[in-house]
Amino acid sequence: MPYREKIAWLSLLAMLAVFIPYFTWTSLNPPGPEIPNLKHMALYAVTSLSWAAILGIGHLLLRRSSQDEAKLPMDERDIAISHKARGYAYGVLITGMIVVGGFMPFTNGGWEIANTAFFMIVLAECVYCANVIRAYRRHVA
Amino acid sequence: MSGVISNNLRTLRFMNGEMSQAELGLRIGVTRQTIAAIEAGKYSPSLKAAFRMADVFGVPLAEVFQWDAKG
Repeated sequence: MPYREKIAWLSLLAMLAVFIPYFTWTSLNPPGPEIPNLKHMALYAVTSLSWAAILGIGHLLLRRSSQDEAKLPMDERDIAISHKARGYAYGVLITGMIVVGGFMPFTNGGWEIANTAFFMIVLAECVYCANVIRAYRRHVA
Repeated sequence: MSGVISNNLRTLRFMNGEMSQAELGLRIGVTRQTIAAIEAGKYSPSLKAAFRMADVFGVPLAEVFQWDAKG
């Protein structure tokens, strides 16, 4: 498996492992309207830090196990794959931002807007990783 | 526009002392996986990489890649 595909798997799995519980918990226990909502902010912080920690440790382990490949810069196909995947992710992200910034302020507020924006960012990143993995698995660019 | 790009990379590698995909990749600055994708016709390299490949094998570009407009 190419090193860049491993990195994409790591990013995707780290996001799924951390953000699925976060969004499930948040939808079942919507944060209250109090400002500042320190309890929810703490959950938000712990989730983000857990994700960063998994990603950091994963990168270190992958670099150790694929030292030669890890040192190589992205070649033209890696760049083409990344560019194409970013195009799909951008579509998801811009749709989400239109919903969050253009519609939700008139119907929702506070944490609902923040969490929807957060969700769309995570979804866009998942779409990016999934498309990178798909391209490497099918050997296309 | 339809058309298919084919290549003789496998043959050229064989004729150059069974050069490995990794070695060819190293010489033109791409990964082994990229060479495998090019050989399989699933990725079309940049013009620069194509010329580098022809240079490695010491043949004109047309001997490495062919274009079939009807394909």
